Amino acid sequence: MSKVLQINHEKCTGCRLCELVCAVRHDGISNPVRSRIRVIKWEMEGVYIPMACQQCKDAPCLHGCPVSAITQNYQTGCVEVNPDICIGCRTCVSVCPFGGMSFNSIDQKVIKCDLCDGDPQCVRFCEVQALEFVEAADVSITKKREAAQRLYTADKQAAALKTKAA
Amino acid sequence: MALNRKIAYINLTTGEVKIKPIPLEVRKKFLGGRGLDAYLLYNNTKKGCDPLGPENALMISGGILTATCASATARTHVMAKSPLTGLLGSANMGGFFAPEMAWAGFHHLVITGKAEKPVYLFLHDGEIEIKDAANIWGKTTTDSQWAIQKELGDEEVKSCVIGPAGENLVAFASVMTGVKNAAGRTGMGAVMGSKNLKAVAARGTMDIKIAHPVEAFENNKKFIDQITSAKVNQTQGSLGTPFIWGATNSWGGLRTHNFQYNQLENADDIEPERIDEIATETIGPYHMAGCFGCQVHCRAQYRIPSGPYAGKYDEGPEYTSLGAFGAEIGCRSAETLLTGNHLVDQFGMDNLETGSLISWAMELYEKGIITDKQTDGLELTFGNDEAALEMVRRIAYRKGFVADALASGGIPATEKFGKESFDYLVQVKGMSNLHSDERATPALALNIATASRGSDHLRSRPAIDLYHLPEKVLRKIYGSPIPYDGPINSEQTSYEGKSWMVFWQENVYMGVDCLGICKYHTTFLGATLPNFEDWPKVIYYNTGLEFTPEELWTITERCNMLERLFNLREGLERNDPVKGDVLNHRYHDEPCRRGAPDVIGLYIDKDKFDTMVDELYQYKGLDKNGRPTKKTLKRLGLEDEPSHLV
Amino acid sequence: MAIKGGKQSTAESLRKTRTFGKIRCHNPSCMERIAPEPGSDHAKCPTCGMEYRLFWVNDNLPRIRGPVWDVNRELAERTFAEKQAAAAAKKTNKGGK
Repeated sequence: MSKVLQINHEKCTGCRLCELVCAVRHDGISNPVRSRIRVIKWEMEGVYIPMACQQCKDAPCLHGCPVSAITQNYQTGCVEVNPDICIGCRTCVSVCPFGGMSFNSIDQKVIKCDLCDGDPQCVRFCEVQALEFVEAADVSITKKREAAQRLYTADKQAAALKTKAA
Repeated sequence: MALNRKIAYINLTTGEVKIKPIPLEVRKKFLGGRGLDAYLLYNNTKKGCDPLGPENALMISGGILTATCASATARTHVMAKSPLTGLLGSANMGGFFAPEMAWAGFHHLVITGKAEKPVYLFLHDGEIEIKDAANIWGKTTTDSQWAIQKELGDEEVKSCVIGPAGENLVAFASVMTGVKNAAGRTGMGAVMGSKNLKAVAARGTMDIKIAHPVEAFENNKKFIDQITSAKVNQTQGSLGTPFIWGATNSWGGLRTHNFQYNQLENADDIEPERIDEIATETIGPYHMAGCFGCQVHCRAQYRIPSGPYAGKYDEGPEYTSLGAFGAEIGCRSAETLLTGNHLVDQFGMDNLETGSLISWAMELYEKGIITDKQTDGLELTFGNDEAALEMVRRIAYRKGFVADALASGGIPATEKFGKESFDYLVQVKGMSNLHSDERATPALALNIATASRGSDHLRSRPAIDLYHLPEKVLRKIYGSPIPYDGPINSEQTSYEGKSWMVFWQENVYMGVDCLGICKYHTTFLGATLPNFEDWPKVIYYNTGLEFTPEELWTITERCNMLERLFNLREGLERNDPVKGDVLNHRYHDEPCRRGAPDVIGLYIDKDKFDTMVDELYQYKGLDKNGRPTKKTLKRLGLEDEPSHLV
Repeated sequence: MAIKGGKQSTAESLRKTRTFGKIRCHNPSCMERIAPEPGSDHAKCPTCGMEYRLFWVNDNLPRIRGPVWDVNRELAERTFAEKQAAAAAKKTNKGGK
């Protein structure tokens, strides 16, 4: 089974450490332009959402690439760009619905999350666990559990109210 | 490379911009951030210059580690001669501005002159433009930032700005970035206002190459683990800085009703746990935010729960706001606290100075020194929430006799309120104190009396003195990197060995400010956090510069001495009641009446206090009058200042 | 080279001295370690009599929220009166000599 990068944006503190470690891990350089993950913010709402490649199963970037530089690694589930083939046309950037494909304006090439070969460093550094690396199958059941918990709590509160009224 | 970030000299009168490299020799002497700013201030201002005149120089900087692969290199430092104190002006803030400035290619700005009409600076990828700020002038701190982003068409632009208070030259106006990050103390916002400089905006995409990226990366992970595993930072990450309130208010270390009491009783509604509940109710369970690259996340988010500003979003409140809109003015309402915090953020003024001066005015009003006529009928009594908030609004716009006087700062206001008012002004060097009462803690009293920017807790406070650490542990911490075998004492009420602790902390805090990292990542509130011994690795891996802990110590001593030299040049005298290293007489004359049994009845013994100052001077290499000896200047390489190396 | 590897710094070596699950009395010369019942919202110092309200940051990290106000006030007033009386007595003694 392949693992996926799960983003729990409500936990994000907006510190952008993920951006820093991503750039340094890949390029040895601090520069958000080089980061595969970016935190998008609504400052006056206090909302911060990290955005990265979703590693789509039916990836628009892969289909859109005119030189077939993008492939899917079936073992890891990771969508990969071969820099030797890439011509830097940025078609993948424009077709990606999430902005997951980034363009590094300094080296003039596209960059994307490669899950750090199975050990994503953004996840390792994110102490609040806004970023997690989980089995793809677990994502949905975790969400179900959280939603069920909310229902359960609401139910209990309603029951307490009923008892009070009686 | 971090080391190829530039320094820019900007003259707003002529519009001339000069961009220069920072020589390695300068880095080795002053590192960057506050230390290098102190050097630049001393070199670029003349004795007696008008703080609000074009000749004052305003420095905005990041530290030597800003935006490198180190933890929490978020701090922006602002320095100039202070309009509040007439001495050293210096303030520091978190957020995201300094890193953006570094990616734009700059570490240091030296801004002089005065623009003809409102302008802002735009720093981007090695270039600096002076732009018209006519459409932004008059806006609040947050509106200004979003307006700049809109005008430049780029939401990634980060700015530090002034609000209405800075424009109106309120002597304690702050420079701000983000929603609440404020370089609040000593009126740096007024200096910007006096230059018609509304904002400095930055946007950068320039590489900062890490000297040894793999090592820097793994070392940073270790560093972060050390920091986030500390109890104090776990607590801080849950409650923010207000967490200090619980302990301080329990033992009686709070300054309330100006200085009449040392505890705010029955103030459960403004306890940090209550604020946390409000944040949870109005934002959600995850309401803590962090500055750049920091995992402590001590900045709370909230919406004002009720009252005329209900629903407004803001961040904080910091511990200082609990004092400003709680302890000092005797108010016990979360609504007042959160509203007051919001107002000072929006107007751009120092919450601490604002609250402190309002509480001073309240005592003067209750004692009849300020009259109803002077307040335009405003009942300026302790615990009057409405009056306090009205005063904040009046001060920002200098409305009415009392507010206008307060807006000039405490010392100038005494000239308007009469000589008697001076006795009640709890200040050092013209700057108000934090809402902390140091009568039971001689170490902390020495800290505020001798701090370089006036009464202040972030210059040399040995906060861990409150933890009653065993002597063995204290010796371990305070005996490195320079051996110390003098007296040391675990009791916070003791005078023994405290001067060394203050000296040591003064150097540590200068260290973090030169590096551009946050004080919650060093020996400040936690005893197990990194300092001199841990820094050489971080600096080496990120910049390639090699230092020993001892060398770093000497650099911090040098930078502190530069601040001292500046203050001496501008009139500091050891026993001067206005510009001296002294405390308000109330510290010596009025014993504590509240708090824990061991605190009751304590006051600062004048003779023992003077001995502590003597000792501190000795450690710093100053004579009895607080002036550096020739030998000290030679040892620190400061005998030829100003030396204009950059 | 100035950069030594391996050796622990003071900060790192002090890490193991961190204690969890306890609070310390805030009376400066008392500083008694108190281990409150997990989850309890009150604690009384067995040595000096100060009584505190508690808050739990997490299951292992209790902290003092504030004093119990009436206990605190009573202690403060009594101590202040005692100390004032003692100081006054000292003064009279001195005057007599």
